[in-house]
Amino acid sequence: MVRDYNNRHALDQKLRGTPKPAHVDHLEVGHWQAIATVLAHAGLDAAVQRALSSTPDLSLRYCGPGEWLVVSQVDTPVGLMRRLDMLCGTQAHVIDQSDGRVLLRLSGPSARQILAKGIGVDLHPAAFALGGSTNVLCGHIAINLSRTGEDIFELIVSRSFAESLFEDLMTMGRPFDLSAAFSE
Amino acid sequence: MASLITCPHCGVRPKEEFTIRGDASLVRPAPSASDEAWHDYVYVRANPRGRTVEHWHHVAGCRRFLVVERDTVTHEVYSVVDGATAAREAQR
Ligand SMILES: [Zn+2]
Repeated sequence: MVRDYNNRHALDQKLRGTPKPAHVDHLEVGHWQAIATVLAHAGLDAAVQRALSSTPDLSLRYCGPGEWLVVSQVDTPVGLMRRLDMLCGTQAHVIDQSDGRVLLRLSGPSARQILAKGIGVDLHPAAFALGGSTNVLCGHIAINLSRTGEDIFELIVSRSFAESLFEDLMTMGRPFDLSAAFSE
Repeated sequence: MASLITCPHCGVRPKEEFTIRGDASLVRPAPSASDEAWHDYVYVRANPRGRTVEHWHHVAGCRRFLVVERDTVTHEVYSVVDGATAAREAQR
């Protein structure tokens, strides 16, 4: 039997319809993205990190010792996998997560206040600097949080938790009139 | 219970991010050890008042097993080390 599988975004149901104008505090969801998990082989943490950070358009998100999520804005999922295999193929396990994770970008002057409602980590720039990233609990959902701008945070969540996290974030952002849409 | 744990990889985190996986001071008996020794190892646990050493799993963070030494009375945390580091030190 032949089946057709439609590639549907995890938040399609939530963000369907005509895009509304973005407010000051805005939650942006990428329609497609290239994300991969890289897990360094034992003892090769430093070598893998060096290889990955030598490439300017790969964004590294720290998960734990020797483990990162790699996000690329310029590659297709297949392209990213090919590039990572070339960079650290023999030194690390590389797994495509482009369809397994959802990336949400929260931006605006109240971003920190919104996140503070669900995250038990100090988000002051002195404690969580620009470019910093970490795995953390948001409410009851495990996410990877990263600061990509003074008032811009990126949250990466497992696909099956995306709707739940989205609803939580919209509730957390309601007093700040948080809006949400797919990115262009 | 100790409510803030300083993970060596992630920094200060609330206890909700962790799962406690039991006594870290137990030593596995030899395969040929007596049934009593194995029974004690598998089932018998103390419920200590005071200083304890436990395995804590940082499930919502780095997903590493940590060895946490804490006080069950004062909630003070004395030390937190990565499980691999603790095992390496124990071998010395
Ligand atoms: Zn940790």
